[in-house]
Amino acid sequence: MKNSINHKIHHQIKKMFWMTAAAFTLALSACSSSASQDAVTARTLADIQSSGKVVIGVFSDKAPFGYVDASGNYQGYDVYFADRIGKDLGAAVEYVSLEPANRVEYLETAKVDIVLANFTVTEERAEAVDFASPYMKVALGVVSPDSALITDVSQLSGKTLIVAKGTTAETYFTENHPEVNLLKFDQYTETFNALLDGRGDAFSTDNTEVLAWALQNPGFTVGVPSLGGLDTIAPAVRKGNTELLNWLNEEIIALGTEEFFHQDYDETLLPVYGDAVNPDDLVVEGGIVE
Amino acid sequence: MLEIQTLRKSFDGQIVLNNISFSVQKGEVVVLVGPSGCGKSTLLRCVNGLERIDSGAIALEGRVLTCDKTKWPLIRQKIGMVFQSYDLFPHMNVMENILLGPMKAQKRSRKETEADAERLLTRVGLLDKKSAFPRQLSGGQKQRVAIARALIMKPAIMLFDEVTAALDPEMVREVLDVMLELAEEGMTMLIVTHEMQFAKAAADRIIFIDKGEIVESGAPEDFFTNPRTDRAKRFLNMFSFENRKKKGLGVK
Amino acid sequence: MQDMGVRVLFEGANGVRLLKGLWTALRISLLSMAFSFVLGTLLGCAMTLKNPVVKAAAKIYLEFIRIMPQLVLLFLAYFGMTKAFGIQLSGYASALIVFTMWGTAEMGDLVRGVLISIPKHQYLSGLALGLSPWRVYLHIIFPQSARRLIPLAINLSTRMIKTTSLVVLIGVVEVLKVGQQIIEANRYAAPSGALWVYGAVFLLYFIACYPISSLARLLENKWKG
Repeated sequence: MKNSINHKIHHQIKKMFWMTAAAFTLALSACSSSASQDAVTARTLADIQSSGKVVIGVFSDKAPFGYVDASGNYQGYDVYFADRIGKDLGAAVEYVSLEPANRVEYLETAKVDIVLANFTVTEERAEAVDFASPYMKVALGVVSPDSALITDVSQLSGKTLIVAKGTTAETYFTENHPEVNLLKFDQYTETFNALLDGRGDAFSTDNTEVLAWALQNPGFTVGVPSLGGLDTIAPAVRKGNTELLNWLNEEIIALGTEEFFHQDYDETLLPVYGDAVNPDDLVVEGGIVE
Repeated sequence: MLEIQTLRKSFDGQIVLNNISFSVQKGEVVVLVGPSGCGKSTLLRCVNGLERIDSGAIALEGRVLTCDKTKWPLIRQKIGMVFQSYDLFPHMNVMENILLGPMKAQKRSRKETEADAERLLTRVGLLDKKSAFPRQLSGGQKQRVAIARALIMKPAIMLFDEVTAALDPEMVREVLDVMLELAEEGMTMLIVTHEMQFAKAAADRIIFIDKGEIVESGAPEDFFTNPRTDRAKRFLNMFSFENRKKKGLGVK
Repeated sequence: MQDMGVRVLFEGANGVRLLKGLWTALRISLLSMAFSFVLGTLLGCAMTLKNPVVKAAAKIYLEFIRIMPQLVLLFLAYFGMTKAFGIQLSGYASALIVFTMWGTAEMGDLVRGVLISIPKHQYLSGLALGLSPWRVYLHIIFPQSARRLIPLAINLSTRMIKTTSLVVLIGVVEVLKVGQQIIEANRYAAPSGALWVYGAVFLLYFIACYPISSLARLLENKWKG
C-alpha cells in the first residue's frame, strides 16, 4: 500500500543512513569486538504481560489507517486492531508514531514490541523482521473519467496512463503491459492534477488511494478496482521474537471467527470508502488470503 | 631606573635585536630612532614583556625582570605603554577605558580612581569627552585618552611606540604637546618616533638603532647636528630636502 | 470551502496540540542552544590555541559533524547506539544530544572566527595595562566578541528551531508533525484544511523566532551606545 512516491525518498534517506551507519558501526564493533550482535533483546510475551504495557508502532498521519484525531487519540484501521491486541494481552497500549523510513529500525532496536503501520510484506523486509499473518491486502486500481471509463486493462492499449515514479504501478505496467504508454511524475499530487487536466486517459496506483480519490472527485470512477499481484499487510515483530509472533498468529485466527476485521472495516474504512469498495477486496480474516 | 644589558631577540632564527645595552635614568627622556624595521618597536615590547627575549637582562628599579609569566601583570603596572594603533577598547566609553586598569588590575576603588581620571582627562584636554565612545573621537583624541589611560596606573616609566605615526598631520601636534608636557614634569620616558623635530625638543638622549644594533647614542644637539657614523648621517638625510628648483633641476 | 478548512484548527484539541508541538520543538532547540553556547565557547577558545593536537581534534570534530546530515546523526544516536551498545536513549534525549553536538560545532566555529577577528592590539593593550591574560579575556576580548557573536548565534538558533522538524524520524512529535497529522486526519472531510494548518504552523514558527530576533536587535542597538 505504501508503495507510493514516498518510497523513493525514504529509500534515499535509508541508503544514506545505512552507508554512514555501516561505516560507523563497523568502526564501533571493531573497538568493542563482538558487542553488536546481541546488544539489545526484544521483550518477550511474558515481559509484555507482566509489565502491563505493550508498545505498538503505528502511523500517525495516514488516515484512515493510522492517524490522530482532533482529541489527540490514535485512530484508524491499524489502531482498531492494536487496541484489540492490547485488550487481549491484558496490557495497556502505548502508541509510538512511526515513519515509513524507520519502521524496521524500531523493531531491530526493540523500541517497539509490534509494528502495525500499514506494513506491506516484502521479501527484503522479511529478512529484517518477522511478519505475522496478514490482516489486509492491497492491489492496484485504475481510475478514469466517466466519459471514457476504462473497465479493463486491455482498453488501455495505445493510450496514456499516468503513474508516479517508483511505485508498484510503474513496475507492474512496465513489466506486464508494454503496450500502454506511461506518463510518469515525481510528485504524487502532480499525478492527480494531470488526470484532472486530461493529460492522460487514466491513472493507476494502490487501489485504496484511487478509490478514495474518486469519491472526492465526481466524474471519475475506478473502473478497474483490483489489478496485478496482491500485496498483503501484516503485523511485524523483532526477528526471532517467536513467542510474540505465535501469539499474534493465533490471535488473528481467533479474531477471524468473529469477523473482527469486517467490524474494523465498518468502523474505520467504511465512512471513507462508502459503497465504492467491496470490503472483501481489502479485508483478510484469519490470516488467509483467498 | 631602567637598565638593559646585552639583550638579544630573534624571530624564527632571524636576529632582530642584538647586543642591546643602555639605561634610562629617573626623569630622563630617551628617544629611539632608526629606519623602519630596525627593531625599535620590538625593543619596547620586550621591555614590558609582550615579547620574550632570547638572552640578556632587563632591570626596572634595580630588579631584574623575570621570564615568569605570572609576575608580568604586576611589573606591567609600573610600565605605561601607548601603541601606534588606536587601541582604546571600543565597547567602553572614555571613562571606562581609563578605569579598567586601576580597578581590575590594581583593585583601586572607583571613587578614588574616578577623581584621578578626571584630573588626567582635564590635563589632556578631554574632560568633556568622558562619556564618549572611542568611535566618536578623532585619532588624536584617542591617543590622548590612551596616554591618560596609561598614566592613571602611576607608572614608573612610560613607553611610546610611534604614537603619532597613524595620525593625520593636523592631529600630531596635540599628542606631542601632551608628551612634551610630561617630559617637562619629569616623567621617565622611552619613546620610539619618526618625528625628528619632536625628538630634538623632548629628548635628553637619542639612541640610533639600525639593523637590530645600537649604532650611536648621545645628546640630541650632537646627534642631529653632528652624527658620528655614516649610517646615522644617511638616516638623517632622509628627513631633509634640498630645493631642487634653485639648482635648476626642477620644472622650467 | 475555505471556512471549512479554517475550522480544522479549532476542532477538538487541535490548537492545543499544535502549541504543544511547538513547545516540544522549542524545548529541544533552546535547551540544545543553551548547551551549545557554553560548549561551543569552550570549543571556539580551544580552536584558537596554538596546541596542534587540540587544534586537530577540534577540526576533526567540526568536519565530522558538518559532513554528517543531522538526520544521520539522529539515527546514529537513537538507533545506532542501541544496535552497537544496547543503550536505549529516548527520542528526546537523542535529539538533545545531537542538536547540542551540532550546535557546539557550529557555535565553536563562530566563536573561533569572532575571537580571531578581534585585533591583536586589543589583547596587547590589555596586557600592557597590567591585566592578567584571564582578565584581558573577561573584560576586553569576550565583551567585544559577544557583540559580534550575537547576530550569528541568533541565526543559528532560528536555524536550529527549523531543523527540529527532523526529530519526527526518531519518534518525537513536534509542531510540523502535529500539523501533518491534522491535515491527514481531515484529508477527506476538509481537504482545504492543509493550507490553514500550514499557515498556522508558519505563524507559530514566526511567533517563536520573532522575539529571539527582536532581542538580538535590541542588544545590538543598546551596544551601539
